[in-house]
Amino acid sequence: MIKIENVSKVYKNGTHALNNINLFIKSGEFVYITGSTGSGKSTLIKLLNGEEIPTKGLVEVNKVNVGILKHNKVPLYRRNIGVVFQDYRLLKSKTVYENVAYALEVVDKKPEEIISRVREVLKLVGLNDKANSFPDQLSGGQQQRVAIARAIANKPKILIADEPTGNLDPKMSDEIITLLEKINIEEKTTILMVTHDFIIVKKRPKRTISLEQGHITRDMIFKGVKNV
Amino acid sequence: MFRRFKRHLKEGILGVFRHAGLSFSSISAVMITLLLISLFLIITTNLQKVSEKIEGSLKISVLVKYENESEADLKRIREEISKIYGVVNITHHTKEEEYQYYIDTYFEEQKELFKSYEDSNPFHESFMVEIQDARMLEEISVHILGIEGVFDTNYGGVSSRKLVEILNNIRIIGLALVISLCSLAIYLVYNTIKITISARADEIWIMRNVGARNGYVTAPFLVEGVIIGIIGSLIPVLLTIFGYIYLYKQTEGYIISELFSLIQPLPYVIELSLILVGTGILVGFVGSFLSVNKYLRLRR
Ligand SMILES: Nc1ncnc2c1ncn2[C@@H]1O[C@H](COP(=O)(O)OP(=O)(O)O)[C@@H](O)[C@H]1O
Ligand SMILES: [Mg+2]
Repeated sequence: MIKIENVSKVYKNGTHALNNINLFIKSGEFVYITGSTGSGKSTLIKLLNGEEIPTKGLVEVNKVNVGILKHNKVPLYRRNIGVVFQDYRLLKSKTVYENVAYALEVVDKKPEEIISRVREVLKLVGLNDKANSFPDQLSGGQQQRVAIARAIANKPKILIADEPTGNLDPKMSDEIITLLEKINIEEKTTILMVTHDFIIVKKRPKRTISLEQGHITRDMIFKGVKNV
Repeated sequence: MFRRFKRHLKEGILGVFRHAGLSFSSISAVMITLLLISLFLIITTNLQKVSEKIEGSLKISVLVKYENESEADLKRIREEISKIYGVVNITHHTKEEEYQYYIDTYFEEQKELFKSYEDSNPFHESFMVEIQDARMLEEISVHILGIEGVFDTNYGGVSSRKLVEILNNIRIIGLALVISLCSLAIYLVYNTIKITISARADEIWIMRNVGARNGYVTAPFLVEGVIIGIIGSLIPVLLTIFGYIYLYKQTEGYIISELFSLIQPLPYVIELSLILVGTGILVGFVGSFLSVNKYLRLRR
């Protein structure tokens, strides 16, 4: 599903963000990506959703060569990928319901379809009763769940979460991971989660890809540490 | 399709009112530009018509001296005139014809009064010389004056050569003014849209992240630009329509003389209005289009 071969990314200012990365992720996997600040995690995400073009190498998602996509083909391609960030990025003037519906409206879904799908994903993330609340009336964890609902509303094959628990306390973080696992299973969505948080990685062991200074230094599962 | 159009329209109108002050400045710029374009068009098209009228009667009347009225002299003068470059046609009018024409035209009722003067006819033998181009009137006229036996030449009361020159100058100055004003208006629209874009950065970011088409993301801004253009053209259109009709009524269609008659208000003002609205829309569209291309960074 995701194939990354000999990929390097050098930004215009000369920063080498990624150096000769090789990576293969199968459909349905749940993968952690860890590494210190500046190690290239966000750059990897930007290459996957077509925001940046690799300087060298192949980035292939669902058999699409993302690096050579024409700019007018990028929007359709992006519908395959949902993205969530640390800072939620919800529209403050819209309700929870409207925030999620917005993602469907702008890709021209029919009104009936929007209504049923928004209900569905709000139920999935456990916010059915908050549909008419505004983001400011919600806790951080709840806001992140709205962001996740919005990201999966259009049924993307891949969900990428860039430090989704960065602003949350351990209990809320845990709820978010639980939710992502649920989405991974129920919606069969491939999940890539960038995280700094080693407690999570150890408590919920999964395939973990470690980046250091643009290189992959480890690609393994932390096993046998479940009771940390 | 209709749903989408409604959405873009709503967003576009919202954009105009969200930054009312800024929108107002670009609407005013469009307005002033269009008012000047309207004035410019009214002046040039009307002058154009006048000059066409003059050019329609490209005639020089040539009067022959009393002492050169013999058959042979008239034939010689006619031949010499016909050799001049730019002369298209020559007709001869005898002094009797001129005299008769004068009496018929001006003294219909007192014809008898003039019977006694018939022997001392004060008119000249004359030639009506038609020429090709108004710009040659003066030159040809001077040339004809140099012919032996020619007493005088006359052509159109107004120097149409001067008029053509004035018209050209007005066109050049007007065009330069219109172009610079259009550029200013486009720039102001450009800036207004730039602010709207930055105010909607969050929504744009989300739209792009969930895969809204580029056209979908840009449409509201283009609509906003076009709306600014349309609002900006309202007052100029009304002023043009009612102002011109008022002017036409006040002057009864003439300024100075019959030569300077104004163009009939209908369908003239409608045509002017369409040009104004069209220009307004174009200015708004170009301004927002440039802004969208610069600030939305749809290319990666
Ligand atoms: N747009 C950019 N232009 C130039 N350098 C960048 C850009 N984005 C990121 N970088 C640099 O690339 C490196 C990797 O950044 P990033 O991928 O954001 O790392 P991470 O997400 O792991 O913190 C850093 O040194 C960062 O400063
Ligand atoms: Mg990052």
